[in-house]
Parts: sequence; C-alpha cells; structure tokens
Amino acid sequence: MMTRDELEQKIVAVLVDEFEFEEPGLTDNLRDDHGFDSIDAIELLAKIEEMIGFQLSRKEKEQAMSIRTINDILDYVQTMQANKENG
Amino acid sequence: MPRRVVITACSAITPIGYGKSDIVESLRSGRSGVKPLRDDGLLTDHLHSKVFGTVDYEIDYGFARKHTKTMGPVSFYACQVAKDVLEDSGLSQEFIQSGRLGVSFSSTHGSPTIQRNIYKTFFSNLKNEFSSIGAVDYLKSMVHTTAVNITRMFGITGRVIASSTACTTSSQSIGFGYEMVKYGMQDAMICGGADEYDTTTVAVFDNLLACSVDYNDTPECTPRPFDTNRDGLVVGEGGAAVLLEEYESAKARGANIIGEVIGFGCNNNGGDLILPNLNGITTTLRLALQDAEIEAADVDFISAHATATKMGDVIESQAIHNVYGGRPYVTGLKSYMGHTMGTCGGIELILSLYMMEQGFIAPTLNLENVDERCAMLNHVRQVTETKAKIAAIQNFAFGGVNTCLLVRDVRE
Repeated sequence: MMTRDELEQKIVAVLVDEFEFEEPGLTDNLRDDHGFDSIDAIELLAKIEEMIGFQLSRKEKEQAMSIRTINDILDYVQTMQANKENG
Repeated sequence: MPRRVVITACSAITPIGYGKSDIVESLRSGRSGVKPLRDDGLLTDHLHSKVFGTVDYEIDYGFARKHTKTMGPVSFYACQVAKDVLEDSGLSQEFIQSGRLGVSFSSTHGSPTIQRNIYKTFFSNLKNEFSSIGAVDYLKSMVHTTAVNITRMFGITGRVIASSTACTTSSQSIGFGYEMVKYGMQDAMICGGADEYDTTTVAVFDNLLACSVDYNDTPECTPRPFDTNRDGLVVGEGGAAVLLEEYESAKARGANIIGEVIGFGCNNNGGDLILPNLNGITTTLRLALQDAEIEAADVDFISAHATATKMGDVIESQAIHNVYGGRPYVTGLKSYMGHTMGTCGGIELILSLYMMEQGFIAPTLNLENVDERCAMLNHVRQVTETKAKIAAIQNFAFGGVNTCLLVRDVRE
C-alpha cells in the first residue's frame, strides 16, 4: 500500500497534468478554487481505480461524492485501500 | 408581423481553408481539398473509395480543459466556428447570456470517433481495464453534442435546436434558426453544423455504390458534379456557423450585415429514404421562393447540392430547370471539398456569401464534359466576375429531406 506522501504526489500529479489544476493546495475547495465538477469526480474515480489496482463498488463510488478537498481524496483512497486489505 | 433576418457573422473550417481569405483564394484558383483517405486502422482497407475531403491544417483552438472534457472532435470544429462568429459579431456578453440568443446546430450523428471507442470497449477483451467507457463519452458523442457544447462554452441560455438530418443538418439548422428570429421566438441564433473525420460514413456510401472510386490516385479530380465521368460522392469534414439577427436591432447596434436570409423551403419526399425525388425537390425550391416572396427570375446564383452521384445530379438539374429555367448561374461547390455531410449547407451558404461580397462566382471544379441530362442549366465553367444579389443554397438528405435557403446581399 502506498504511503500518504506517495499517494499525495500521485494524486496532485494527476490533478495538475490531467485536470489542469494550478498550484493545488491540500485544503483548497475543489469546486470553488479549481472548477472541479461532478464530471471530473467520475473521471478522477476512474484514475484512482487504475492507481490502486482494483475496481470500486457502486456504493464506494457514491461515498466519494462528499469529497471537497485534496485531503478528502487522500482520506478516501486510504480508506478504500484499507477496506480492501481487511477484506 | 414577421421580422427581417440578417447574417452578421460567419465562419467556416473547410477542406479548402479556414477563414475568408483562405477559402476565396481556393475558389479563385481552383484548389481542391480532396486528399487520400487517412488510415483509421479499422475500415480503410475494406473500402473501395480512398479519397476524403480533408481538413489537414492545424487549428489553434486554445480551449480550456473545463470545456474540452465534454467535447469530441466534432465539437472542436463547432465551438471554434461559434467562437469566431461571437467574436466577430461584437454582441455584448449580457445579450449572449440573456436568453434571447439561441443555438441551432448539429452534426450527422454526434461524434463517431467517441462512439467507435465505446464499441471497441464492448467488443474487445478488456478484463484488465477499469471504467474503460469514459464517464463523459455520452456527452461527447450524443446527437446534440455540438449545440450544447456551444451553449456551455459561452453561457448561452436561449433555445437549442439540434436537427440531425444527415446532409440537410446545417441547412435545416439555419432555416429553423431563421424562423426562430423571423417569428420573434429569439432575437438572434447561432446556426450551423459540423462533422468530423469518419470512415463509417464513407463505408455507408461505399456499400451503396455511391462513393467515388475511379480517382483514388488523383483525389483532386473528384468529385465531378454534372460531369459525364462523375462516379459518386466524396465524404468530407468541417464546420460552419452563421449568426442570424433580427434586422432592426442589428442595424441599431451597427452590426456588420453581410447578408439577409429571405426565404427557407423545407419538405420531405414522403416515400423512399434514399432515391432523389423530382417532385419533392421541385416543391422545396418553390416553397423557398414563396417564403421569400420573390420570383424565380430574381435569383442570380444557385449553389446546387450536386454530390456527383449518377442520378442525384440529373434529378436536381431537372428540378432547377423546372423552377428557374436555364438562366441563373449554377455551381456545385462540393467539387472543391467533397460532401462535408452535416456541414455542407452551412459551408455552401458561407462560400456563397463570400462570392457575393467579392463579386465573382467560382466554377464547378472537374466539370469537363457536361452530362447531356444536366446540360440545360447555366453551369459556371470558369471564374465569372459578376455580382449576384440573390443566391439559392440547395441541399437534400437521406430520409427524403429537402431544403432551400435564399439569401440576399444587402450591401450597397
């Protein structure tokens, strides 16, 4: 499992390279500060699945809809990975 | 009380150039935009026709990802020409977002490139991939994708019309937009159409034996509307947009009025979905004249649909002769770039406006020996310096849909 720092690097790289974020901060509001919308959220989930190497369930994906910051994304991914490891 | 409807901006991305100077130079010099068909890694090897009306130059779109994330290739063409007309128009941001500006724009069938990717996912073994169909693939490929990507990019809140009727897509878009403004439903409309590079369309016409196949080694020699040696149509790509405005408000704000839409005829053959229909087409041409309240003798120039199919050109010639006799100049503009499908009516209208402004009419390219069944018309065989005041733009589509737009040059 990736450390939080490794995960942060990867997530920030995706947000900058593919979602055209400029100078993202961990506590920035994704929507207000970077124009991140529901379409982006679905696209990001697909990137996260590739990153963690397993598919998320419908219910798990719905949980992601409350994400507001990059820190929230990191928390979410770590939770999903932990759930997977704990079966 | 019907209102006058004027054209205050236009833009076209075509196989013979992007923008007025490029396109006019091609028309004056007889430069063809038909090129060898690009390999798509799927259908190209199976097709008999190896030619395509190609947009082979770079376009600096500069669109932000927040817009491109819902756009397939077809919407890039659409949003670019829409951006051009809005920039040229000088319309205020307040008006653009007021609800009084609408969009009438479409394509033959959304974005086939994106649709193809979806099918590729379905029909291949992708067990190791996640979420292989993109969340926004539908938004990129749906039939009205061009129209709503335009509204999204510019914050337009008026009506949306997306008439996807194959080869009459953009001529219907312009005709329906004209009616919106004429009858007061909207004060202005961005109208047009776009279609992207797509071999599926080539395959359809190829299977119907309607595509040109005899000039695969000399693409610039086809299509050949009205010529005895024509052997079918050439599929092409592009985008076209015009801005229609209510005349009084356009004049009041000092808009650059480049033409007036004075009539629109549209009907259906009510029968066969493929074969051209003399009665249906003749009726359409007359409906446009009635709508414009002018006589056939008032029309100086006819931009014929003229796809260069064996029967289509003959039937259209008969219809033109039925209505106009042999007087008005006739050109088949597809001879320069092939059949740009859902875009063709828009492109042919814009080319007609350019020629009316510049005082010339371009000849039908590759017309060496006129088919005797088409010979009763006044075919333009060389660049002709003349100032046409009224032009008819004719388009006909699979499904038996026929359109005719009548435009007038209102410049002094």
